[in-house]
Amino acid sequence: MLALLKRYRELILVAFLLLVPLGVFLANAKKAAERSRFDRAVLVITSPLERLVSWSVTGVLEAWHGYVGLRHAGERASELSREVNELRMERDRLLQDRAEAERLRRLVGLAEAMPEHSTLGARVIGVRLGPAGRQILTLDRGADRGVGRLMPVVVADGVVGRVHSVTGSSSEVLLLVDTYSSIAVRVERTRARANVRGMGKPGGARLEYALRTEDMIEGDLLVTSGTDGIFPRGLVVGRVTQLRRKPQGLFLEATVTPAVDVTRVEEVLILASARSREEAPAALAPGATP
Amino acid sequence: MKILVHLACALLLAAVQAAALRFLGGGVVTAALLAPCLVYLGLHAGNVDGVLAAAGVGLVLDVMAATPKGLFTFLAVLLFLVARAVGASVDVRGRLPFALLSGLGALFLSFGGWLLLRWAVPPEVAPRATVILRAIVEAILTGALSPLLLSGLRRLDRLFEREEPGLLG
Repeated sequence: MLALLKRYRELILVAFLLLVPLGVFLANAKKAAERSRFDRAVLVITSPLERLVSWSVTGVLEAWHGYVGLRHAGERASELSREVNELRMERDRLLQDRAEAERLRRLVGLAEAMPEHSTLGARVIGVRLGPAGRQILTLDRGADRGVGRLMPVVVADGVVGRVHSVTGSSSEVLLLVDTYSSIAVRVERTRARANVRGMGKPGGARLEYALRTEDMIEGDLLVTSGTDGIFPRGLVVGRVTQLRRKPQGLFLEATVTPAVDVTRVEEVLILASARSREEAPAALAPGATP
Repeated sequence: MKILVHLACALLLAAVQAAALRFLGGGVVTAALLAPCLVYLGLHAGNVDGVLAAAGVGLVLDVMAATPKGLFTFLAVLLFLVARAVGASVDVRGRLPFALLSGLGALFLSFGGWLLLRWAVPPEVAPRATVILRAIVEAILTGALSPLLLSGLRRLDRLFEREEPGLLG
């Protein structure tokens, strides 16, 4: 028996490493994924790396725009064109600064518009939008700053998603376009209720459980209803598109164009829920910025 | 030791991928940098350490993609075996064949993940067919980036190669 095991040990190892993960997957597939201690340990290792790469790339880009680009321009162009280039770059930098300031101003405005919620600003340090995986953003704020699971994440344009898992210094956001994300919404015009569920790709969501008899048209604005216990009411989720009213069945079919383009999000606001607010430290003061 | 180095490399690549995609369109297109790692293991690693490292890389993929546990571990080991079978039957030494195999490997992971999720998870959360186009783009990008990884992985492997004294004397 031992000799047999020894002889086929490689085959047994391969079969073990194939069948055990498949069994674990099939056992867990029906349940919503929860982060285990092992997962969090891996994320504790990777999130500083993501932060490091993010800082490095930003640093290199800034160095390029601020120094190397100028040097190369000076070598190649005349004095006048160099001056024009410098001014153009300065203008671009100012435009970028202004755009960032505008984004932050809108975030602060949003935070001030919701005095009942404690807010925390955060920056995106990683994106994971793979076709077969969850649609996730990594933020540079974690449990150390009072971030907790299920906290809504928004920008001035609307809902981004909710906090999916947290490590000490970072957190993951399950985006509204993920298939596991389902947000209770109302049509702003008629107050009709429905759910918005992601389709697993950026820019894709669909409407669920909207009764066929409801008054709904393409272009209707969808806002959170506040009935799912996660998102406060009144946050913009998206607009109804490609509405189909079938002759039979209980519900309407429609796709939803999210108000927020998740591929362009750079800074976000995390909203503490009422329960979390009681537990949250001073870092979650209203209007706190990163 | 070699397995641990491959795991550390996988963790580093996963983190680099997540951070770098932020600057490449914010996730409009994605790349699966761990697929070339698995293909490389299939082509160059030994049976036991290769399959163990592939399972480890699969675990990292599972955690980073936040899919139900075991999905990518299973697919990673399967991709390792497929790459091994291809390596045994076809000559995959140059960069181009490696890039081709890596692209197909990325497609294998995406499409395999899509199929298994469609089959196993509740239908309301199952991924839609529309993600297949993204998977194809991901495979092309992965194939294009894989030659860079190939040279890195070769250098990494050279650290563990020891010349036997006396053979050339």
